[in-house]
Amino acid sequence: MEENKVASANEEMLNIKGLVVHYETEDEVVEAVNGIDIVINRGKAHGLVGETGAGKTTTALSILNLVPDPPGRIVSGEITLDGQRLIQFKELTEEKRAELEEKGAWAPSEPALTEREYEHIRGNKVAMIFQDPMTALNPIMPVGEQIAEAIEVHGEYSKNEAQQKVGEILEMVGIPAARADEYPHQFSGGMKQRVVIAIALACNPKVLIADEPTTALDVTIQAQVLETIKELRQKLNTSMLLITHDLGVVAQNCEHVSVMYAGEIVESASVKEIFAGMKHPYTKGLFNSIPKINVNVTRLMPIPGLMPDPTQKPQGCKFADRCPHVMEKCQQSKPELIEVSPGHHVRCYLYETI
Amino acid sequence: MSNNAATAAPAESLHKIYKRKSQLRDVWHRFCKNKMAFVALCILAIIVLAACTADLFWDYEKDACELHISEKLQHPSREHLLGTDEVGRDILCRLVYGARVSLKIGIGAATFALVIGCILGSIGGYYGGKIDSVIMRFTDVLLAIPGLLLGIAIVNAFKPTVFYMALAFGISYISKFTRIIRSSILSIRDQEYVEAARAIGAKDSVIIFRHILLNCMAPIFVQYALCIGTRILSVSTLSFIGLGIQAPTPDWGSMLAGARAYIRGNAYLVMGPGVALLLTISSFNIIGDGLRDALDPRLKK
Amino acid sequence: MSNTILKVDHLTKNFYTPSGVLSAVSDLSFAIKAGETLGVVGESGCGKSTLGRTILRLHEPTAGEIYFDGTNITKLPPSEMKQQRNKMQIIFQDPYESLNPRMSVSQAIAAPLLIQKKYKASQKEEIDKKVLEMMDLVGLARRLVNSYPHELDGGRRQRIGIARALVLNPQFIVCDEPVSALDVSIQAQILNLMQDLQQQFGLTYMFITHDLSVVKHLSNNIMVMYLGQMVELGTPQQIFENPLHPYTQALLSAIPVPDPESPMQRVALKGEITSPINIGEGCRFAKRCLYVKEECPTVSPEMKEIEPGHFVKCHLFA
Repeated sequence: MEENKVASANEEMLNIKGLVVHYETEDEVVEAVNGIDIVINRGKAHGLVGETGAGKTTTALSILNLVPDPPGRIVSGEITLDGQRLIQFKELTEEKRAELEEKGAWAPSEPALTEREYEHIRGNKVAMIFQDPMTALNPIMPVGEQIAEAIEVHGEYSKNEAQQKVGEILEMVGIPAARADEYPHQFSGGMKQRVVIAIALACNPKVLIADEPTTALDVTIQAQVLETIKELRQKLNTSMLLITHDLGVVAQNCEHVSVMYAGEIVESASVKEIFAGMKHPYTKGLFNSIPKINVNVTRLMPIPGLMPDPTQKPQGCKFADRCPHVMEKCQQSKPELIEVSPGHHVRCYLYETI
Repeated sequence: MSNNAATAAPAESLHKIYKRKSQLRDVWHRFCKNKMAFVALCILAIIVLAACTADLFWDYEKDACELHISEKLQHPSREHLLGTDEVGRDILCRLVYGARVSLKIGIGAATFALVIGCILGSIGGYYGGKIDSVIMRFTDVLLAIPGLLLGIAIVNAFKPTVFYMALAFGISYISKFTRIIRSSILSIRDQEYVEAARAIGAKDSVIIFRHILLNCMAPIFVQYALCIGTRILSVSTLSFIGLGIQAPTPDWGSMLAGARAYIRGNAYLVMGPGVALLLTISSFNIIGDGLRDALDPRLKK
Repeated sequence: MSNTILKVDHLTKNFYTPSGVLSAVSDLSFAIKAGETLGVVGESGCGKSTLGRTILRLHEPTAGEIYFDGTNITKLPPSEMKQQRNKMQIIFQDPYESLNPRMSVSQAIAAPLLIQKKYKASQKEEIDKKVLEMMDLVGLARRLVNSYPHELDGGRRQRIGIARALVLNPQFIVCDEPVSALDVSIQAQILNLMQDLQQQFGLTYMFITHDLSVVKHLSNNIMVMYLGQMVELGTPQQIFENPLHPYTQALLSAIPVPDPESPMQRVALKGEITSPINIGEGCRFAKRCLYVKEECPTVSPEMKEIEPGHFVKCHLFA
């Protein structure tokens, strides 16, 4: 037992447990993330699939404590990176807790590190790349300088050493080192995104969080960029949390996948398992509604309706009013995550064993 | 997929079934939430109301213009709430009539500048090219002329009446409106919904007016409010140095000029017109700011 | 036997920029039969959006002819073109940008009716009736009739765009990436809606997209474009099962298949997309082609019909 624990502790790179994030405005409270668990092992890629409003970006931002506060707040949860706690449960006396509860300011969790310590982690141990490469780069700085900035923040390099490293990194992403002095507008969208990846991987981070990194790119460029990421990850043994809505991208780039709906994880399994047999009605619906080049259809099968308004909190399963298999108990109470086969979890009453 | 139940119901007028969510009402609500702006609006309303109803309390000729030397320089009393000026006229009365002049010129000038500016800015912004260059150089010329001097020149060339003063001070503000409208049009001209309008077959004039100008309303209204404020200040300045509104027509600037010699011991002489100017111009400025915040439809989200 | 509703002959559109001539659409010729869908596929910069807009004369063609339902509309004067606009409409990609933020749903849908003078502004009852009819048709709840675009989600906004395009009873609609900006599950809803409407009203679509998988089941023919030129044209079956042009092959192989067992045999492309400014003669794909031959950069290949209905423009098939 102890051995297993130690082994799995070494395997685990990023562990998110019970994350709850709210956005609070004066009118309403939006429960953006509602208790999710994700485990990413060393060197592995985990896909987080969901549509707009599912809470994927909020999850990513929480890892680095970048959720805008106000109005966002990490209410509850525990996030651990390579053994180091990033978000932890508060340790308060009963009185202090009662005091805060009365004021309405009670939240079980809090950031575990100071802002400076987070800054040390961001870009260094955990790197994040975003969707829009156009705005991710400073238009008035040459790209070489921007990569160098990332290096210099986290390490001690002389000017020459930094320049050399910049050249190496650019070559790694397939851009000739001589272009280090050029400005972002002189690069195409795909190359800009590769520069962004270069900056992200410059400090050899343990985890790469990629938030829809190729959604804004053409399909042939997307393929190039994803390949670049794959190669680099294999070389540096970087773990990845890949956020996307594209099931195809997940199938080709990740080992594990979690499907998110309305702030919750509704299904989670290895990629092979899930594509071999999807269990949750939402996952199935999502898969059936996308046109696929390897399948002939005369008509698509969309999921009727819309994702629920995050300010309305339905009592039961959040997918109930769109589900083709809805039962009475679905509207009354929320199903728990059940393990239907090793490593394959589903949140659905259809799979509740007696 | 389609809403079949609805086809059964007769198509009554949309305005009856579903309460029309007027954008105007949204804007009004947002404006009122801004307490300072709301207060400013009330103050302005009082000033305008007073200016309009002045005749109910005083007679223009007798109370505002005629000299009553025997009653000169009286401190505020029950009979003359703000006292009398250096030639015996009731200050409150002159203040209220003075508001008329200030508002007329201010609003007149601003409206004149707005209309001309809209036309020039729309044409220049929408069509671009040579027309745009000509219009822009024209506004450059206007900008190069100091507003106050232009005012003095026009007033001397013609008569110092409300009309010519409004014209004079309007001309100097045309450039600002032209530029604002032109830049708004430039930013909207290439939006897809303008293209959509062309795809339906709309004419250029319709497109400019319906789709573009209405979407630039925010900066235009804000600038309009600010413009009125500054015009009132310009008029008062001109009157203060004696070149604007002539006696005996009451005007805040000339009231201040007249009071200059007698300030020592008679501070109330400048309180009236000074505070009136302060309140009016500030109100316009604050309303302008409040409008800007209230008019952005995306600010809400 | 359906007749040809749109015929395009050697259509060219150039933009004149300070850096040079931008050849957006170059010598395109094709035809669409009434009631059918032509899928126009290509990546950014291939000119497909420009093509759609030029056909509707939202851009003026530089050269070539456009025939709509037998009439040559290339040089029609504005008043006559306005008449034609009743029959040819467009659905835009970005459902937020293509709607005037200050116009409510009913105003946006009624606008074409008023501009084309189908009704007078005073005929409120008739206009309201038509607006509600359109909303039912596209699946917009009637209670949204006075809502504004920023209050609605992308899917609903796009339905407004579709209603607006349909309200004049057109025969031909250019659909410029109509679902690219929408969420995955909404995309399917809108695509099905468009399919149903096509069946119901016998509409002809020119469906522009960068996503080949979307047009697979919708199109009767697919045209692949690269940097302003047509490189391949064929039925979906021909294109997907037997892609001839190296670019088409690369495009197909780059699409990530949602099946972890299917290996990605990606056909790699050399380098980056080249600039369309001051582009010379010759095949525009030459710089990136793995099979490039000597004549490719200087000599433009001819369009060849390899099998009935399957055309390709490539020196490999000369």
